[in-house]
Amino acid sequence: MKIAWFTPFSRKSAIGRCSAGIVAELAQFASVDLWHPEASDERATSVPRVRFRRGIDADLRQLSEYDLVVYNFGNHLPFHREIFQVSRRMPGLVVLHDLVMHHFFASYFLEDLKDPQAYVNAMHRLYGERGRETALGIVSGKRPGAWESDEVVEFPFFEDVLDGALGVITHSDYLCQRVSQVFAGPVCKIPLAYEVEALPVLSRGELGIQKDDILIVTVGHLNPNKRLHSVIRALGRLGNRVPKFAYVLLGPYDKGYHEHLVELVHANHLDESVRFVGYVSDEILHSYMRHADICINLRFPAIEGASASAIEEMWHGKAVVVTDTGFYRELPDGAVVKIAPDREEEELSAALRTLLGDRAARERLGATARSFAEKHFHAKRYVQEFLKFAWQVRGSRPVLEFADRMASELRALGVASSMSVAEGIAGEAYNLFFED
Amino acid sequence: MRIAVVNNCVPFLTGGAEHLAQALTTKLIEYGHQAILVRIPFRWEPPAKIVESMLACRLMCLPNVDRMIALKFPAYYVPHHDKILWLLHQFRQAYDLWGTDLQGLPDSTEGQCTRDVIRQADSRYLGEVRKIYTNSRVTSERLKKYNGLDSEVLWPPLLEAEHFSCKSYEDFVFYPSRVNSAKRQWLAVESMRYAHSPVKLILAGKDESPADRRRIETIIAEHGLQERVVWYREFISEELKAELFSRALGALYIPYDEDSYGYVSLESYFSRKPVITCSDSGGTDVVVKDGITGFTVPPEPRAIAGAIDRLYENKQAAESMGSSGCALIHELGITWDRVIEALTR
Amino acid sequence: MKIIVASTTYPFVEGGSTLFVEWLTEALKSRSHVVETLLIPFSPDYRKMLDQMLALRLLDVSEHGDRLIAVRPPSYLLRHPRKVLWFIHHHRTVYDLWGTKYQDIPPTPEGHTYRDAIIHADNIALREAEKIFSNSKVVACRLKRFNQVDARVLYPPIWAPERFRSGGSGDYMLYLSRITDHKRQLLAVEAVRHTRTPVKLVIAGAPDPEAEPYLKQIRLRVQECSLDERVTIIPRWVSDHEKIDLFAGCLAAIYMPFDEDSYGYPSLEAHHSGKAVITSTDSGGTNELIVDGENGLIPEPDPEAIARAMDQLYDDRDLARRMGAAGKERISQLGISWDTALDSLLS
Repeated sequence: MKIAWFTPFSRKSAIGRCSAGIVAELAQFASVDLWHPEASDERATSVPRVRFRRGIDADLRQLSEYDLVVYNFGNHLPFHREIFQVSRRMPGLVVLHDLVMHHFFASYFLEDLKDPQAYVNAMHRLYGERGRETALGIVSGKRPGAWESDEVVEFPFFEDVLDGALGVITHSDYLCQRVSQVFAGPVCKIPLAYEVEALPVLSRGELGIQKDDILIVTVGHLNPNKRLHSVIRALGRLGNRVPKFAYVLLGPYDKGYHEHLVELVHANHLDESVRFVGYVSDEILHSYMRHADICINLRFPAIEGASASAIEEMWHGKAVVVTDTGFYRELPDGAVVKIAPDREEEELSAALRTLLGDRAARERLGATARSFAEKHFHAKRYVQEFLKFAWQVRGSRPVLEFADRMASELRALGVASSMSVAEGIAGEAYNLFFED
Repeated sequence: MRIAVVNNCVPFLTGGAEHLAQALTTKLIEYGHQAILVRIPFRWEPPAKIVESMLACRLMCLPNVDRMIALKFPAYYVPHHDKILWLLHQFRQAYDLWGTDLQGLPDSTEGQCTRDVIRQADSRYLGEVRKIYTNSRVTSERLKKYNGLDSEVLWPPLLEAEHFSCKSYEDFVFYPSRVNSAKRQWLAVESMRYAHSPVKLILAGKDESPADRRRIETIIAEHGLQERVVWYREFISEELKAELFSRALGALYIPYDEDSYGYVSLESYFSRKPVITCSDSGGTDVVVKDGITGFTVPPEPRAIAGAIDRLYENKQAAESMGSSGCALIHELGITWDRVIEALTR
Repeated sequence: MKIIVASTTYPFVEGGSTLFVEWLTEALKSRSHVVETLLIPFSPDYRKMLDQMLALRLLDVSEHGDRLIAVRPPSYLLRHPRKVLWFIHHHRTVYDLWGTKYQDIPPTPEGHTYRDAIIHADNIALREAEKIFSNSKVVACRLKRFNQVDARVLYPPIWAPERFRSGGSGDYMLYLSRITDHKRQLLAVEAVRHTRTPVKLVIAGAPDPEAEPYLKQIRLRVQECSLDERVTIIPRWVSDHEKIDLFAGCLAAIYMPFDEDSYGYPSLEAHHSGKAVITSTDSGGTNELIVDGENGLIPEPDPEAIARAMDQLYDDRDLARRMGAAGKERISQLGISWDTALDSLLS
């Protein structure tokens, strides 16, 4: 099979990191070309690659020679914009990493195209009156962007990347179900392949961690969705009767939220224990993770398809604390600690108290997590399931294309899909060729 | 060139358009092309069938064909890279017949949607063809009015002109055509009441309904026209028809408001006989020029009788008008030479 | 009765089915039926198959005619309450040719989907038929094997067989057929090389559009083997008149295509002219008509074996004549006549 694999390939893209591992394995079974937008900090790969600058630079004739074109989508416009543009011109298999693509489309319409009306129209089309009103409020400045709060899950905006897709891959069951509600073609869930990179490790001392401190770590962009305000409060509740710990938050942050967290830290007397490190290099991040005793990885509401950071933490064999929702809910109970979102602070506090006091418990959890990761979150497995699905998608393609052709011929004749004759014809065709 | 003439058909029904399609195919071969006639079954009731037929045509293929000549709705939807139309018929029920008794489509939402679909699809797909010819000015006018499309009239010639000849100008006028109220044979018969000259009227054609038959027979009986009117009600062969034309004084062709001149006019002129028509006969005015190739009179029995008498009184003039008519046919290009040249350009 | 005869056609390419449909129409008309013949243009391009098949399904003749007789695939998709199939061949690329080098749909997942869809549609349409007839046992077997439907064999006759006559016996074998590689005229030429007797070979028929190279090959071979005096090639369509004369004057006919479904009209034409037919073991449908030693000879597709068969008939004219007569007998025996055909189709 000849495959064109579209992905961001900047070192900053987690999806790019996934893709690197996947295509390396995939290349053993298929002829794969990696297509990625130009990036100054691109990753290395042994797989042949095609770089392109703008969406229209991608040569359609060249692309039509592949048996399958694969598009990886995540919520970050700068990484996925050009890929999105290509996907508009050439149907392919979509790998959807995030449920919420609202940030992507809001930026696309409002900043790239500078077309607020298009944003309003899209919100209307997807989410009806409520969508339209919300969008109008946003573009007229009367209210903040929907993407700035939990409200965003009501307007996830993932539907538009599925338009014209031949099939969809997600990395969790819950996202699979959401996709199936709006997409009629083949959908499948494959556990995300996200392996640990072999990087040099700094010592605890070099990281500035005290020898006996229990290291708690949270990785990633710090924002309210990660529930850090609850974490700080929960830590505050622990008081003095727990072993000494250091809570390190690694990642860039929103100024406002950061200020709020700093206030909370101070109010809870945690200034000695909590450290905001900001954005760090891969090596330093990797080192912290290696030394971490506990990883806190909360999300609410769920907006990703799967969590690369949680998977990485499980690979490292860490005790991981997560929210009982979305992708995390699907992890086995013995592999991670799940916190109910409606009793967040309480359960967090109790869980941390246990984990801080019980090293064996931490180690048991970590071992189960690691074992689970080894079985599920690796490229070999991903590629096997991908190939099976790719075969199925290719087989469905003539059907999808046939349906598209019929629909467009009827449209060209001026027949509305609501006319009963259109339904009749669709039924006729389906019964003739595919029904069993 | 490999040419496909594409037309509709209703199984077991053959009418003028079918004859023309067949004749066109035969002529194309005669003129040295390879040609086939493709006949696509068309069903228009219930209305959903119309849309289904349209889609079916869009999904068909015409492989190994250089040029497609389409004649009717929905056959003209079959896709081809080199398509020209010789438009005989759009689906008039969606156009000028909409809102009349002959609308055909129901007044329901479905009927209206179907009408809109037809108009929209026609405008789109007819707009994409290389060239549109039509068979009459009326067809062209309708196409312009409803679909905004320009077209050129390409007159349908007589199918077998070679059969017709001129032998003599005897004392009868000839009106061969199926008999119904629109063709107005009853008016021709009425006229015989007022014709002074010893000219007879020969009708040839089957009545389409008992009422049509009764009307004519009543006029004949009531006015003692049995000697003046001869009516061949059964089918007459092409040879007999040609024979009668060859000996006639002239032809009578007085239908009400037809789109085109009618084959009778052509047959008459190819036999070099003048044609008497009426001022409200419609398309006959293309070939019947009053005083030059025949007479155009008001649709009244006395006027028609007068025209018949004039022919009798001046046979030389009759001859000369017949010849002028024949010349006019060629001038107007109502010939296969012209048609084949235009369609294979 | 009012009868619709429906078939598909590839414009401007005459195949055996063109005559089949023409003759069926003639035969029906000659028995005073009113016939409407529908020939729907159809492209064999697999990427356009589904669209075209749906088109046939959407066209509606179900309210017309007392019977619909469908011939070439997939004309049988037309719906009709009294549908009868005289099935002459499958769309073989998705059936018995699937998995061979003749498969013209790629063996990809997409290709499989097209194949499955075509077979699915065929199965539906076949089951709507009141009766299914096939033109040979070969085809009937395929229908059973691939579509699980039963078909009765109804051998196709030629039109007006009484036009043919036997006019004595000449010294040439006649291979009258379209010239194309699967008809194997070249094999017949090779056989002449190995003959003992001075038997001649006449090859007559129009080359298929892509068969010009094959024709060149044949001519070259004749030249190379110095067979110019013995092999005559008439590479064009032959008129009925010429055909009748050629058959009348031949010693016997050769008809040995590779793996054909039906026995071929030339076989019948030969027998109606009182001539034996030399075919081959792998020719397919001819083997349902020809019985080795009775109305013809069936050597292996090997030039020497074929040469021996030719020589045998050259040497024994009496045998050739007897076999020719047996051929006529065989035709009656198998019920190959328009009366039988129409009775079966319309009963």
